[in-house]
This record gives sequence, C-alpha cells and structure tokens, in this order.
Amino acid sequence: MLVLQQVVERFALVVCPPRVREGQRLDGVLREFRLMTGALRPSARRVLLTAFVAIDQGARLYPRARGRRLVRLGDDAADAYLTALLARAGLAERLKGIVVMCYYELPEVKQEIGYDPDPYIAAVSRRRLQSYGAEIAAAAAASAASAAAQSAAVDP
Amino acid sequence: MSLPAGLTQAADVTADLTVECGAVIVGSGAGGATMAAELAAAGIDVVVIEEGGYHPTEAFTASSMRALRTLYRDGGGGMAIGKPSVLFAEGRCVGGSTVVNGGMSWQTPPRVLAHWGETDGIKAIGETDMAPYFAAVESRLSVGLQDPETIGRDSELLKAGADANDWLIVPNRRNQLHCAGSNNCNNGCPTGAKQSMLVTSVPRALSGGARLFAGCRVDRITGSGVTGRFGHSGLGHSGSGHGGPRLTVRAPVVIVAGGSVQTPALLARSGIRSSSGQLGRNLSMHPNANVIAYFDEDVTGWHGVHQAFQVREFTGDGIVLTANNLAPPMLAAMMPAHGRELGELMADYNHVVTAGPLIEDTSTGRIRNVPGFGPQVFYQLNDQDAARVVRGVELTAQAMFAAGARRVLLPFDGAPALHSLGEVRSLLARPVPKRSIRLYSIHLMGTARMSEDPRRGVVDSFGQFHGRPGLFVADASIFPGPTGLNPMETVIALATRNARHLIDHRAGHAI
Repeated sequence: MLVLQQVVERFALVVCPPRVREGQRLDGVLREFRLMTGALRPSARRVLLTAFVAIDQGARLYPRARGRRLVRLGDDAADAYLTALLARAGLAERLKGIVVMCYYELPEVKQEIGYDPDPYIAAVSRRRLQSYGAEIAAAAAASAASAAAQSAAVDP
Repeated sequence: MSLPAGLTQAADVTADLTVECGAVIVGSGAGGATMAAELAAAGIDVVVIEEGGYHPTEAFTASSMRALRTLYRDGGGGMAIGKPSVLFAEGRCVGGSTVVNGGMSWQTPPRVLAHWGETDGIKAIGETDMAPYFAAVESRLSVGLQDPETIGRDSELLKAGADANDWLIVPNRRNQLHCAGSNNCNNGCPTGAKQSMLVTSVPRALSGGARLFAGCRVDRITGSGVTGRFGHSGLGHSGSGHGGPRLTVRAPVVIVAGGSVQTPALLARSGIRSSSGQLGRNLSMHPNANVIAYFDEDVTGWHGVHQAFQVREFTGDGIVLTANNLAPPMLAAMMPAHGRELGELMADYNHVVTAGPLIEDTSTGRIRNVPGFGPQVFYQLNDQDAARVVRGVELTAQAMFAAGARRVLLPFDGAPALHSLGEVRSLLARPVPKRSIRLYSIHLMGTARMSEDPRRGVVDSFGQFHGRPGLFVADASIFPGPTGLNPMETVIALATRNARHLIDHRAGHAI
C-alpha cells in the first residue's frame, strides 16, 4: 500500500492545482482517497489500484522518463508524462477525476473558491420553517396520524 | 439517534438469522419501498432487505465525498463499458436512489405508455389506467412546483436562454414539501423536504408492520425465499456482504427491486433464466452530457434548488435540456484540465452554470455477471444517439450564450474553450468522435422488461416473472424502454399498481 500511496501522491502533485503542496493539503487528498477506496467493493478497488500501478510502471515507456517509474520522476518529467496521458483521455482521465475530487473536498479549498454551503443551508432551512412551518407541521401530523391508524389496523 | 421500530441494522446482528414472512422485498428504493408500504398496509407480513445503510435526514451534510461513500454504490463511480464509456451512479442506502436524486417527478408521457401497450400487449397501462396511480403517488409525495424564492440564478439563466430563443421551458415538478432550495439533493436532503422513500414509504411500511434489514446483501434467490449476508453499513467500506452473519428469509413471494443493474444480476446468479433471452438486456441509460458555461456575473449556482426548469422544446427529437449545479468535487472531476489550469478554471466556480442534454436513447446495453468482478454494464452509444448528444450540447451552448455566457467548455475530449455560438457551430461542423464524448447517467432502465409475451419480456404486465409464480420485479428494470423523462414517478406508480394487483390476487400466492 505504501507504493500505491507514493503513486497517488505523485499523481496528485501533477493533476491538482499547485496549491496542493501547501500546508497539509496533500495529506488531506491522500486521506480522502483512502476513504474513497475503502468504500469500494473489493473488485472495484482492485481495478482502481491496478490502474494506478499501470500508470506508475507505464512511465518506463515514456521517453523522457528514461526507464523510470512515475514515482521516481522529477516534477517536470512527471508532469510531461501525465499530461501526455491525460491528453489521450481514457483511464488516466478517470483517475484524475477521482484525485481532484479529493482535493476539492478539502474545506480550505472550498473556502478559497467561495463555496461555503453550511451557513447557506442553515439560513434557507430557517426560512423554510418561518414561511411554511405550520403547513409542514400539519403535514407531519397528518402523516403520523395516518401511520398510527395503519399500525392499529394491522395490529392483531 | 432513535431507530424506527422494525429496522435492524447490520451492526445489531451478531448471529445468523432466519425469518419467515409473506413477501420479501430486495431493495428499499422507489420500487421496493412502495411495494413494501402497499403490501404492509394490506396486512401482508413484509420483510425488506437493503444492501446499504440507514442514514436519517439528520446525518446528511454538504460533504459530497462523504455522501458518495455512504449513500452510493461504489462511491458513485459506476462505469458502463463502451465507446464512449458512460459514468453512472446508483443510490445504495435505505430509500435507494430517491435519497440522492434531484426529486424530479414526472408522469410517464402518454405516448410512451401507449407505445408500451401496443408493442408489448401490456395490460392496463394506458393513460387513463395509470392516472389514478399517478394521482395517488403525487398526493402522497407532495409533488408540485417549487416555491419561487428557492429558484437559483443558474436556473434563471437557463430560462433566460430558452426564452431568448423562444423555446418551450417548463418548471419542474418535484416530490417536495416546501423544498428549502439548499441544493444538497445529491448528498441527501438535509431538511427532509424532499419526499424520498426514506421519509415517506419506508416509514409507512414500518408503521404497517414491515421489518427492514439494512446493511445486508442478498446473494441468492432460493426456491423458498432469499439468502443474504450482513456487512458493515456505516462509514467506509460497506455492505460487501463478506463474512458477516447470514440472513435467510423464507417467503412465498419474492420481489426484486435492486435497480436495473443489480436486479438482473441477482436473478442471473440465482440461476433464474428468462425464456425471452431479455434478462440483463435492453438497458437504456438516458445519457447526459454537461456544458460548463462561464458568466461575468456572480451565479453562485449552489444557491437555489437543484434543478428548477426543463427545456422541452426538443422532446420530439429525444432531447431535454436542464441546468444542475455541481458541487466543487464533481465539477472538478468533469473539468477538461489539470494542475494550474484546473485551479484557474475552478477559481471562477461561482461564475459557472452547468447545463446539458438528457437523451431519450435508442441505444441499448446489457448487464453481465463477470466472474471476480460482479455485475458489469456494457453500453454502446449508437450513431443516432451520438448525434442527439452533439445537437443537445450545441443547443445548450446556444441557450447559455443567449443568457450572457462568455465562454463554454464542451463535454468532448480535446475541445478548446469556445467564446461564441459561431465557434461552437464551427467546431461541431466537423464530426465529433463518439469516443470523445463525456457521458454520465443516473437513469438506468429496462433490463427485465415487461411484456405479456414471454418471448419478448422477462415479466408480465404486473411485474411477475414469466413462468415463476411468486417472483416479481419492481424497479425501473421492468420498463420496456426509456421514458424520455425522469423515471422515478413511473417506477413508483407502476409499483403501486402492481402491489395492488398482487394484493387482489394474494390468495393465489398464499399470503
């Protein structure tokens, strides 16, 4: 798994915006990635991990890599290799999607781009209750009464 | 957190269980929960088995990644194999995909019902036959229009673009009780306003005496019911069904409602075959593509309801246009850029509208159980549908530029940013390679199609498997073809109808 972590880390340093190198962001990306892969069924996880290994080893065929794996490349060569892969879309593009999702899940990154949903959700939730609270409560009561009647009807 | 009576979670089960009931239902989404509520209300002893976990309204947050891990199958990253491949997402939690969908509630178009009746001899499926079921569903799920204050700027811009082109655009009907417009539909509704199965039919079924086992994966339909295995349905890896206690349910009636991928896969791995040869085939996906449009003004697309309008001008051509805001992780994954360029594109997140076509597809795919990998989806977009996607993308760009967009990114690999409709048309004048189209889907349908003719269909007019009395299917897999619109209400209406038919004939099934 250490090898995989190295590959994902190298991948993230290229596909995420440069600020991924700041603070604890790279650790955050890796943490999100681990959580995501942990949610996959074993066969899907195997496919994903195999894909990263293939990209790592595939660097050996890239001329500027001079036979080295992705994790052994310097920044410029790694960037050139992955840029070439991403230009062909396909698998690398899918993997990029997963890794950048992990980056844009980080709270500090969301803040930077002006996405701060919690206060907004709290505000519109309050507005909903202020505007329609009575109707919502009435609907809930009607639903509960209906459920109770149904429950009584089926209770032997 | 107090659990509803009748709910058993995987963590509560420490030893193998065997239960008996009248009807066992596999899946608690639109079809399964509806069947459960109807049958329980009729006094039938119902057991529901859900592979995913139970996550109440209070558990929902704005974290997309958390939602993907806990509420979706495979983190929302399903992929149909083909050229192009199609990303798809399925809900996997108590309430199924209704917990994470946008809540669009549309009746099946009458032309679609008529077509199903004519081509497959399906009984009692005409517009007038179905009307009372749609009415019942819409009443129960509070289907209606949005309150005006919840409509966001991204939706207004789509409408402005449609109006400028004099196109027909309609306000969405949604299953919601005064939706707050929190734009969190895909992560689970944090207010409970969306009337998903989690807050409607599941509690109704439990009130009626149904029992629900969450976090249990059914691995086989047997001659006397089903067998499954409990997993771990909390955060992280969930519901794999490896190694946990076993659940055996004995029931004279088995209802499979796992969705259009899992349903045929479960039937097939249980050794159940359809003489029609259609089990697992006939898959429709309603492929979607997204145009990313940048505006000078602050759009803040995450303020306001998930989707407020649909452009219906082109339904005759199999194209519906919509605008849906995407949370940052989803938008970033879709961006045709990486590194510094990605950062620059995402820096303008609040100036973006994401919109695009939903295609009523004529292509069909299939589901196959692949040893070692489980159910796999294969789908090949045909030329006709590819042309529809390209046209839908062009129309979307036309609407966005008419609304004031300064540039658009198209869902075609290698396409540059374009700054006018003329540039879009110039680019699209050349053939767009199918493999370059970026597609996704959340509407999978048709893999256990209905037909009165057992040579054409897997199930009969009321969802019963041909030649297998007591075995039913109750999800979108029974559709003979695509609906052309959001399919949830069709699933629920058909499940209501088929449940009532089963109740009317319960004596024949000894329940």
